[in-house]
Amino acid sequence: MAEDNKPQAAPPPKPAGPPPPPPPKNPGLVTATIDGREVVAKPGTSVIEAARSLGITIPYYCYHKRLSVAANCRMCLVEMSNAPMGKLMPACQMPLAEGVVVKTDTPRVKDQQRATLEFLLLSHPVDCAICDQAGECKLQDYYQTYDAQPSRLDIPKVKKAKRVWLGPLVTLDQERCILCTRCVRFMREVAKEPQLGVAERGTDSFIETFPGQPLDSKYAGNVVDICPVGALTSTDFRFRGRVWFMSSARSICTGCSRGCNTFLDYLSDTSYRYRPRENDAVNQEWMCDDGRLSYKPLNRDRVLSARVGRSQGEKAGEVVPRQAAVARAAQLLSEQARAGRLALLLSPSVSLEDALVTLAVAREGLSLVEAYLGGRPDGWQDQFLKRADENPNRRGLELAAQGMGLTLRPFADLLEAVGAGEVRALWAVGTELPSEGEAVRLAGLTVVAQATNDGPLARAAEVLLPASPHAESDGTFVNFEGRAQRFEMAYFPRGDSRPHWSLAGELGRALGVSQLHASAREAFAALGPRLGAALGDFRWDSLPSVGKRPGLVPLAAGTVDGRLPGYRERVPSEGSEDQRRALARLPQGGRP
Amino acid sequence: MSKAVIAALLERFPDAVTDAYEGVGGDDCAFVAKERIVEVCRHLREVERFDLAPYITAVDYLGMEPRFEVVYNLVSIPRSARVRLRVKVPEGDGCSVPSVTGVWRGADWFERYCYDMYGIRFSGHPDLRRLFMYDEFVGHPLRKDYPLRGRQPLVPERQVDENLRGPGPATRD
Amino acid sequence: MTAPAHSPPAPSAQENDAPLPVKRMVVNLGPSHPAMHGVTRAVVELEGETIRAMKLDIGFLHRGFEKSCETVTWGQCFPYTDRLNYVSSIMNNVGFALAVEKLCRLEVPERARYLRVVTSELHRICDHLTLVGAMAMELGAGTVFFFAIEGRDLIWDRLTELCGARLTSNYARIGGVSRDLPEGWADKTLRTLDRVAELCEEIHGLLTRNRIFLDRTRGTGRVPRQDAIELGFTGPCLRASGEAYDVRKAFPYLVYDRLDFDIPVGANGDNFDRYLMRMEEMRQSDRIVRQCFQQMQPGEIIVQDFRYALPPKPLVYGTIEGVMAHFKLVMEGIKVPAGEAYSYTEAANGELGFYLVSDGGGRPYKLGLRAPGWPMLAALPFMTKDALLADLIPTFDSINMIGGEVEQ
Repeated sequence: MAEDNKPQAAPPPKPAGPPPPPPPKNPGLVTATIDGREVVAKPGTSVIEAARSLGITIPYYCYHKRLSVAANCRMCLVEMSNAPMGKLMPACQMPLAEGVVVKTDTPRVKDQQRATLEFLLLSHPVDCAICDQAGECKLQDYYQTYDAQPSRLDIPKVKKAKRVWLGPLVTLDQERCILCTRCVRFMREVAKEPQLGVAERGTDSFIETFPGQPLDSKYAGNVVDICPVGALTSTDFRFRGRVWFMSSARSICTGCSRGCNTFLDYLSDTSYRYRPRENDAVNQEWMCDDGRLSYKPLNRDRVLSARVGRSQGEKAGEVVPRQAAVARAAQLLSEQARAGRLALLLSPSVSLEDALVTLAVAREGLSLVEAYLGGRPDGWQDQFLKRADENPNRRGLELAAQGMGLTLRPFADLLEAVGAGEVRALWAVGTELPSEGEAVRLAGLTVVAQATNDGPLARAAEVLLPASPHAESDGTFVNFEGRAQRFEMAYFPRGDSRPHWSLAGELGRALGVSQLHASAREAFAALGPRLGAALGDFRWDSLPSVGKRPGLVPLAAGTVDGRLPGYRERVPSEGSEDQRRALARLPQGGRP
Repeated sequence: MSKAVIAALLERFPDAVTDAYEGVGGDDCAFVAKERIVEVCRHLREVERFDLAPYITAVDYLGMEPRFEVVYNLVSIPRSARVRLRVKVPEGDGCSVPSVTGVWRGADWFERYCYDMYGIRFSGHPDLRRLFMYDEFVGHPLRKDYPLRGRQPLVPERQVDENLRGPGPATRD
Repeated sequence: MTAPAHSPPAPSAQENDAPLPVKRMVVNLGPSHPAMHGVTRAVVELEGETIRAMKLDIGFLHRGFEKSCETVTWGQCFPYTDRLNYVSSIMNNVGFALAVEKLCRLEVPERARYLRVVTSELHRICDHLTLVGAMAMELGAGTVFFFAIEGRDLIWDRLTELCGARLTSNYARIGGVSRDLPEGWADKTLRTLDRVAELCEEIHGLLTRNRIFLDRTRGTGRVPRQDAIELGFTGPCLRASGEAYDVRKAFPYLVYDRLDFDIPVGANGDNFDRYLMRMEEMRQSDRIVRQCFQQMQPGEIIVQDFRYALPPKPLVYGTIEGVMAHFKLVMEGIKVPAGEAYSYTEAANGELGFYLVSDGGGRPYKLGLRAPGWPMLAALPFMTKDALLADLIPTFDSINMIGGEVEQ
């Protein structure tokens, strides 16, 4: 009792300020909770990235992992326990903090997402039916997932310009723009050519170039890809096709020796566009405009039938079945080779498999020990992606020649040999020449050409064999760093054409060499070992499957063909698909 | 009602019946070990009075291990109850399930159907052959790796004396 | 007086009954035979006129229903379901819609549920009329066929007014039905039902006490109750064998629990009972439709949710929200939550089941169809064992095998 009356000792003074933060659960890392699940991340990781690592999707428009954070679309707002006054916080901007509890699916968050979408759609035109982005549009995706409410708008929508020419490759529809400024940030931060900005304020604001300075950067095409809506459209692709009918093949850009990874979008046997495919080691997820347009020769000026006899003026050579042309070519080649007057001209734009089979036939069937390098002339280059060498496979050709024991000699040496009269006949695999004018000097030769596209050398050929470009065959390109990259066949060879490896195999058979392979894969399996360890740990079947088409989701795992919803069966231009598939498998093209 | 059935099954066959769950709409489901399915089904029919097996089908979960699943939808008329049993079936040599035709005669065609469409064999089935497709057909069309437009060559006309089709005895069907 | 010596002795009674030594004969009935509706081939091994063995060869109408459905969006499956049981297509529509709704956990507006019951029961009458007409015709009573077809076409006319198609009527949608009743349709339908009831009475008068019909159907194709259950029978065939099992009563769906109707049950499980079962079920369906018209209230006919139902056309053409929802639903399909479910309804011939597996995408991962007629057709060899060949015809008729659904 007495103790109760004793005056109590003064309590220890409270420390000023907030209590010290608890020690981190994982030293050096940040541990937090998202939707009840614990996540451990490096300090500085944004909430949106941490959530993604858990498989939790937070919607966003303006955020892009390779661009700076703008946090202006307000789509990624989430509840965070450390938010001031309990406000919703943008997940793209907020770094994960120790012990923070994040909730992404509370009614408040969902309500906010719905409200954001309603605002974004307020003045959006009713354009899906004519919009090129329909089918891969984030507004459509998120509307269906997070909103799905009817419109409450009863006043007219804001009108803006529908087609603004920004530059050679980009056309802007201002009404569709949601002002996420991804394009502005891309031009400033990645392309390093700040050519875009936001003009005016409020509902009047729009994306604009500076007066007298069009959007003419060589990387301008990427703003079309990163635009989450249909505002920035590719002038080249605009109104040419609906994306949900198209299929994508994982391909490689052939515009330069960088070998940017791409998707080749095609319908039936027509290529429509390239889109960059993500590969951190090569092109991140960008590509240059010249590469973007390099799909055009796949459709245009193609050589689709075999011809025998030189074209003279308007009169082209006689169209013959490919088998007959191959027989004629083999006869010519072996005659000239026996006389020691034959040279092989190999273009560095053919694939590694093409080069391997061609060199093997040249070595074994024609006893050639050297080959001359053709290929397109050098172009512009920069410090980012574009290389001066505009041929995708020069390195692959060097490796193949080394592996097959042939010497590669530059094109100038060929001209010298022709001038000296040592070379009277030419076997051209790929007809690209370092300069078009030189074709005149080669015109006097007896030329057997395997060409994908029409050109001076193709026209000068005594025997012209139709070759398939990379869209119509599987294969490998080796880029300037020595990185072997696979590309896959988009559609079956057009017309009577066949890939170079198949044509060379047919020639080889006529010359008594067994290099006839059923597929590029088999060709690589047979001849690839001769390359030794030059390709490192490259495996032929290792095509990465990253970077699926945004928007319409492909069939879930377990579906073999991976076709998109709404995809229609391809309509082959000749014969049945089965027939063409069988033809593609049979290099001789005849009946089995 | 059928909750009790599943509970009783779990108790009676602790090592054969696993992962019981309540499916969408309150269906009562459980996974059953492949080797024990006949035993479980016989118990269900004789003790729990699940006298009707209205539907047996299969699913191809390509890319998952094991790949196939046979699904038994069962009804008890006197108890007005339903259960669904799922049996996981691996691909390859083990792609075979004991047949429940001995428990419910009506399972006959359903199992033939699963064999025809998915290539799942049913050991102990009296007459296991294709149901819809013809005998010369190669492959199993409902497998996910069978192409949608897979075409097969026309088969030559059969001889007249082969009019009783298939390997099964003529007295059965 | 003795028999003349040159005439042979009269055969004894034993000799008279001795069967002639006959060779077993294999006869193909079908695939295209006037008395085998549908394209089914029955290989029958005959001893005299007695069926000793029988094999069924089906699949002539197999068109890859399940494979086709796995490659189209959920909504695009509806036209395929129309062609399952093409005599009562709306029932298949409704069965499929209920299955998807079960997976989506979707509540359908009440009026839509009534409309689904009304159209289903009308189609049940169609189905039963077809069966009775075809059965009578194949037993030689052509008049009955014309009466039945008149009734059926009257109902089909009503359904044409409702959904635009006479045979492959497509009415149900995920989340409701495609359109509301036209003006005056209910009264018109009631008059149609009166006429159909009259026609049924005519058929009843022509068949039920008809000596030929009785002789050919009574006691033939008999399936005892226990066998029927073991063989997996459902629907009228099971009830004809004496088991009062009907999904509408055992596991009520839509609004069947609010309606007053009876489940007829047979005693012998023979062809005649299966015929009677159909006649009585038509009366019960008539009752159900009349009750529905009385109970039905105006209201929504489809869920007002853009994630499942197409927006109204003015919204599609006039607002971005509508056009986006329309685009996503048509091009990508309804996003059905990942999972699996088995949904069952009582179709005209028995339990119509759909086993669905969804991977969360816009298309079914697996769509398994439990066709009502399947077990009955499978049991045909059992039903006709040691019967006369002529009994095969009424038996085949009374199980009402529909190639579209059985052979998928």
